[in-house]
Amino acid sequence: MTATNQAPASGRTRQYGPVALVLLVAALMLATTANAELMIRVTKGTGEAVPVAVVPFAESGDLPAGDDISTIVRNNLEMTGEFTPLSAERMLSLPSSGDDVFFRDWRMLGQRYLLVGNVTREGDRVRARYELFDVNSEQRMLGETSTTSVNNLRTLAHHISDKVYEALTGEPGVFSTRLAYVTLDEHEGSPRYRLQISDVDGRRASVRLESREPIMSPAWSPDGKQLAYVSFESGRPEIFVHELATGKRTVVASYPGLNSAPDWSPDGRSLLVTLSRSGNAEIYRLDLDSRSLTRLTDHWGIDTEGEWHPDGDGLAFTSDRSGGPQIYIKDSERASPRRVTFGSRYNARPRFSPDGEYIYYVHQRDSGFHIARTELDSGDEQVLTRTGSDESPSIAPNGRMLIYATRQGNDNVLTVISTNGGAAYTLPAANGDVRDPAWSPVLR
Amino acid sequence: MLLSLVLHGVIVVITLMSWQWITPLEEPPEPSISARLVSPEAVPPEETTAPPPQPEPDEPAPVEEEQREQQEEEQRRLEQEQERQRREEAEREEQERLEQQRREQQAAAEERERQAREEEAARERAEAEAEERARRQAEEERKAREEAERKAEEERQRQEQQRREEEERRRQEEERQRQEEERRRQEEAERQRQERARQQREQQLEQMAREAEEARLAEQRRREQAAAARARETEMQNERARYVSLIGQAIENQWYPPSSAREGMSVVLRLTLLPNGELQSVDVVESSGNRAFDNSAVSAARAIREYPVPDSRDTFERYFRQFTIQFEPEI
Repeated sequence: MTATNQAPASGRTRQYGPVALVLLVAALMLATTANAELMIRVTKGTGEAVPVAVVPFAESGDLPAGDDISTIVRNNLEMTGEFTPLSAERMLSLPSSGDDVFFRDWRMLGQRYLLVGNVTREGDRVRARYELFDVNSEQRMLGETSTTSVNNLRTLAHHISDKVYEALTGEPGVFSTRLAYVTLDEHEGSPRYRLQISDVDGRRASVRLESREPIMSPAWSPDGKQLAYVSFESGRPEIFVHELATGKRTVVASYPGLNSAPDWSPDGRSLLVTLSRSGNAEIYRLDLDSRSLTRLTDHWGIDTEGEWHPDGDGLAFTSDRSGGPQIYIKDSERASPRRVTFGSRYNARPRFSPDGEYIYYVHQRDSGFHIARTELDSGDEQVLTRTGSDESPSIAPNGRMLIYATRQGNDNVLTVISTNGGAAYTLPAANGDVRDPAWSPVLR
Repeated sequence: MLLSLVLHGVIVVITLMSWQWITPLEEPPEPSISARLVSPEAVPPEETTAPPPQPEPDEPAPVEEEQREQQEEEQRRLEQEQERQRREEAEREEQERLEQQRREQQAAAEERERQAREEEAARERAEAEAEERARRQAEEERKAREEAERKAEEERQRQEQQRREEEERRRQEEERQRQEEERRRQEEAERQRQERARQQREQQLEQMAREAEEARLAEQRRREQAAAARARETEMQNERARYVSLIGQAIENQWYPPSSAREGMSVVLRLTLLPNGELQSVDVVESSGNRAFDNSAVSAARAIREYPVPDSRDTFERYFRQFTIQFEPEI
């Protein structure tokens, strides 16, 4: 926080006495002669999550148990790390519409925003009406009525979450997006790999592929309708493209040696893949229509885990050409790679932020593996997780959240954190280990 | 008779004396005239009284010759004159002797006549003397009367004169007094005028002194007020800085920048406060273009129940009655 026309701090005054004096005099003259309106500059906020009250929606009619819309919304907001929802027990009243709201109550509770609503069952459909208020301004920011089928309450809850999130933050919510991940458990004495897709809160998971052989590295197509992944189902790694709506699967890369780490180009027409067909792991662009390959790296070291830059120009990848794995960026397909991670023996699995300003990766420090990010312009590195054996980061399409796999006790679990280092939210435990999460794009 | 004799004698004497005197004067010598005619050019007319000029050295002979001839001429003339005078003297002596004879005869005749006339005259004189005495007496009487009248007249005139003089003196005295009075009056008027002028000057001076004193006091008051204003101004600036800091801190504590906030975004709000620190109004005067960002700022401004504001009303009015807040995140 600073103020225009304000005198420098006293310590500075001592250090730069004459200059400060001149500035002070000038400031006073400016303040008195120009009589300009005082302006106070505020450059930072509390740094805390926004207090928001999501009042349990009033319900009428027979509604499915366990799919309470307001609870889902509250959890979603909390998962972002940007909000701290007020627990229902502390609420002084439970209004279900704006007419019942006494803003003074919510101000007293220190709440900044208030979501109220009601849900009514009408035959096979459910109608939800909700309103969002700014407690201090006492103004309604949002008001909507939506209907959906009785079985689709979660979808409606995520939709409301997205709307509220966008109203409060100015950015689209990602609560209607999906997660893809691979679970491993044992089934009938054999390992069972399952490719699953769920809501971002881990609920409504569905298995799309099951195999006794490893399934790895799921990657969403830009339209969210296909997944590419590596499956060892044939006994050797191959890259498949899987159409989610139909379940149709296509092998797109089955070259001798390694076929791994697919990543969709932003235009959806090609994949970055890592192949060792030349004897050494290199990164290629695989055109999906023509199946033609363009080799993008050429080094005796291992080059793998390529990811397109969000604007489709250039790529990041992992290479051990300097000894250990480090992140490199090629600003275009023909450009020379430049290393962007330093200060650690191990930096791998690069993922761009949607705006291309940051690169996220797995970072080893103090014998532990963490998720870290580097701001590409400044080179500033920030370690985001503390859990110790973190891997496979994937960034939400709005860039505000990040999901990664980590150990929790004896299990591998998925955890969501805010990209600014906020609160973590662990998805409900699935059966067995969970690995390789991939956050979908915004689904249309 | 006697008188006529005397008279004749006197006439004769006078005649003789005239003769003696006139004769030598008939032909007076005039030597200087001829001398001047010889060299008229040598003597300028204007220098007649001056000594004659020196003869020219190259013409000495003609001048001396001339002078010698003149002297000879003069000598001859003198001799002729003396001859003529001797002849005239002899003739005159003859004449006188004849005259003497004639007068002696005439004197005997006249003596007889004179005695006759004296007798007649004595008688006439006695008559005349008697007549004269009577006349003189009458004359004296008349004179005495006239004298008395004259004196009376003189006395009258004297008195008249005295009266007129007295009158004149009085008139002059009155005139003098009048003039004196006028002079005094004028002097008094002048004195009063001067007094008035002096008083006026004094009043002017007093007025000037009063005005100067008032100006001095006003200047002193102005200086004191200016000093007080400066001190107050400094105090206000301090207060301003303090409350800018407090308000900024309060806003920071209430601002939740939304996740869409980016460096370089800016929203400017104008706040109007009541003197008790209560927020009266808040307006977005410069939107960031991001509604959520704008809302977050407005919400922060509205979240503060009571703004920290200075107690002094003038500081409040000048700076904190209305001010702007710029939300400009540094991320």
